[in-house]
Amino acid sequence: MSPLVRYALRRLAALVPVLLGVTVLVFLIMHLAPGDPAQIILGPKATEESLARLRHELGLDQPLVVQYLRWLGNVLAGNWGRSLQLKREVLPLVLQRFGATALLTVGSTVLAVVLGLAAGVVSATRQYSLADRAGMLLALVGFCLPVFWLGIVLQILFGLRWPILPVSGMNSPNTTGVLDTLAHMVLPSLTLATGAAAVIGRMTRSSLVEVIRQEFITTARAKGLPERAVIYRHALRNALIPVITVVGMQVGYLLSGAVMVEMVFSWPGIGLLMVNGIQARDFPLVQGAVLLVASSYVLVNLVVDLLYAVVDPRIRYG
Amino acid sequence: MAVRRAIGIVLASALLLGSLAGCTRPASQGAETKPGQGAGSTTEAGQKATGKTIVVGLQAEPTNLDPAQISDYNSSRAADGMFDRLVRFKDGSTELEPGLAESWDISQDGLVYTFHLRKGVKFHDGTEFNADAVKFSIERQIDPNHPYHNTGEFAYADFTFGKVKEVRIKDPYTVEIELKEPYAPFLSNLAIHAASIVSPEAVKKYGKDFTKHPVGTGPFRFVRWTPGVEVVLEKNPEYWKGAPKIDQVIYRPVIEDQARLTEFEAGQLDFIVGIPPEDLARLKQNPQYEVQEQPGMHVWYVVLNATKPPFDNPKVRQAVNYAVNRKAIVEQLLRSTGVLATGPLPPVVWGYTKDVPQYPYDPEKAKQLLAEAGYPNGFSAEFWVPESGSGMQQPREMATAIQADLQAVGIQTRIQTFEWGTYLDKVMGDKSSLPEMFEMSWIGDNGDPDNFLHYLLASDQAPPNGFNLGYYSNPKADQLLKQAQRLRTQAERQPLYEEALKLLVADAPWIWVDHETQIVAYKKSIKGFQLHPTGVFRFETVDIQP
Repeated sequence: MSPLVRYALRRLAALVPVLLGVTVLVFLIMHLAPGDPAQIILGPKATEESLARLRHELGLDQPLVVQYLRWLGNVLAGNWGRSLQLKREVLPLVLQRFGATALLTVGSTVLAVVLGLAAGVVSATRQYSLADRAGMLLALVGFCLPVFWLGIVLQILFGLRWPILPVSGMNSPNTTGVLDTLAHMVLPSLTLATGAAAVIGRMTRSSLVEVIRQEFITTARAKGLPERAVIYRHALRNALIPVITVVGMQVGYLLSGAVMVEMVFSWPGIGLLMVNGIQARDFPLVQGAVLLVASSYVLVNLVVDLLYAVVDPRIRYG
Repeated sequence: MAVRRAIGIVLASALLLGSLAGCTRPASQGAETKPGQGAGSTTEAGQKATGKTIVVGLQAEPTNLDPAQISDYNSSRAADGMFDRLVRFKDGSTELEPGLAESWDISQDGLVYTFHLRKGVKFHDGTEFNADAVKFSIERQIDPNHPYHNTGEFAYADFTFGKVKEVRIKDPYTVEIELKEPYAPFLSNLAIHAASIVSPEAVKKYGKDFTKHPVGTGPFRFVRWTPGVEVVLEKNPEYWKGAPKIDQVIYRPVIEDQARLTEFEAGQLDFIVGIPPEDLARLKQNPQYEVQEQPGMHVWYVVLNATKPPFDNPKVRQAVNYAVNRKAIVEQLLRSTGVLATGPLPPVVWGYTKDVPQYPYDPEKAKQLLAEAGYPNGFSAEFWVPESGSGMQQPREMATAIQADLQAVGIQTRIQTFEWGTYLDKVMGDKSSLPEMFEMSWIGDNGDPDNFLHYLLASDQAPPNGFNLGYYSNPKADQLLKQAQRLRTQAERQPLYEEALKLLVADAPWIWVDHETQIVAYKKSIKGFQLHPTGVFRFETVDIQP
């Protein structure tokens, strides 16, 4: 077994306790939060008997440990339960909604990487120029903007002032075109990507600046290589190593940031589902959704770590 | 060199952005020739867009389309057009008129209701509407031994059909419903969404998934429900009252108020709810839009705990009613998104009368009453407030205003806030731990005054039986309300409710503040729409004229 494969397997095994911990936390937080799901499902007009009956049907009258173990056993067997509020199987429901979130996350990642790299390279190659200062100031502002505010401003600008983009949902009514979905993606992706683009931009700049100062770049220049080749073939490749880590971390943030963006843009992803579920004390739904998001977050991190090991041979799989 | 490269990179990223933005053009063009204007235009997906469409922006996603399981507005709004009931509320009011039942008789003792059903009505799946369907729709909800009882959680069954003893089929078009005791509000209960008549064949076919394949007899038929995206209904050309004039209704959840408004102003939505109050004036001035407002079947109030001093004394309860400047709360804090309440019953519900004792803002009168009651220096009280909640409007801001008004007459209140779920648990829980005052609101179900006056204020409705959370008791009013339940006609019941209302208002069990206004905005091209007190949208006779 190559060391890389062994490293990958060890990292995979380490995910088990992490995910188990996640399930315990999610379970406890949901169940210790006040508010009785039976009461919420049946409304204020429910009688005591019907409440007791429903609590029994839902297994809410069992001790917490029993409820947890039963739930965990079912989850492992692929039975993620039935949403109390939407009356549907949780697993297909969260998977389907996760698709929309993944699409948004991928779109934002692409945008963030393109914008961030572009800004970073421009700034680094033209240090202390007007473009550099403007770019980095923008990055600082972009990083600090609250997602909620930025989203609403973009909606008003591109939905109302210059009505060229749809501002909510994933499709126009009664439409299922790919282009239509892409159009709906632009504003939420841009909102979500701004913060990450800012981080990637600043990281690219500082990393590239550092690499450019190193001796091998001077050597490359001394050899008479064109500046373009020096920057892209030598400097950028080396500068990208820390950037990849940052990108990986940003994917995680984007995934969790999607919850907020989905609220603003009514994007039918898992974040929106989760918020509805929390309000309705829909235990199986929230647990399933959090479990799925947490798993994918952990997996993205794993992939980034592995990628890192591949890109930079100096990394030891310690 | 470097400059050119930088420009290249910027151009490249601009191009990528542009290519994304470029994709939007077909979509926004699609919106311009949206169904509604461009008859027969073809959308990107290649589906034929059919004529007149209304796209409604809802505040949240519908959670259920089985009318017997619905307990939230967004679901009932999306589902309502697909179903009919035996009796129905008239347009614009909560008075009753024939629905799937052409007529009905009530036995002298008020126990047996005989419904004569409309003939020749078909469910959307082509099956016949008849007495079997009525029996099935009711028994499915209330009989645990019914073979299709496990097809849902019927939150309203106890409330709607709790008094039903038996449902009997006399012939294919006659149904008898026998009650356990005389109960006049029963007829109104048959008009609420939970009493919708569903296709038995569809329930048998889809079981628990009936909510995803709803089949009724209503003016609109189910087409598609894409979770999180839209619910699409189309007109039922065979509707017994005549086919609707519009071809499609699409319900889209747009969660953020601002986003919904932007979509509306950009022309992507035709009809919206939940308009931010500060934008209302602007919409009203725009000649392209119509804004409709109506007091809802709602009341917002502060419960005065009648079980312990000082609110066991009616004079103190009256004093706080004089002390609070309700008009200011409604006009300034709520920006007139509600109408001032004069009592517990909203004016849209029959049984309402203006002829009740009034409590204008009068701090001097309040101080005088407090002195008479033995509290010349006021008192201090605990005041519970939820952070949010359906129908609660602006719970914290309103509490602060009330606190300030009460302080002006010497009453010190300590506000304590809770998350809504916790709050409900606490106020409906242990009686002994209730504070002196707490906020509450109520949205009526069936348009019957009983649903407000009896359910919220009769002594036998103290928890867990009902919603009299302040344990208020007035034997005289109790007697009137009970008597009104046993009478058969609205005309007989009306005077009793008016009398009870006068007694209750004089006794001041709550500080009632307002009835929240229903507000919708829609494109002027939508003709003939009228708000309904129950909060559902009726599009069966609505037309679109450019």
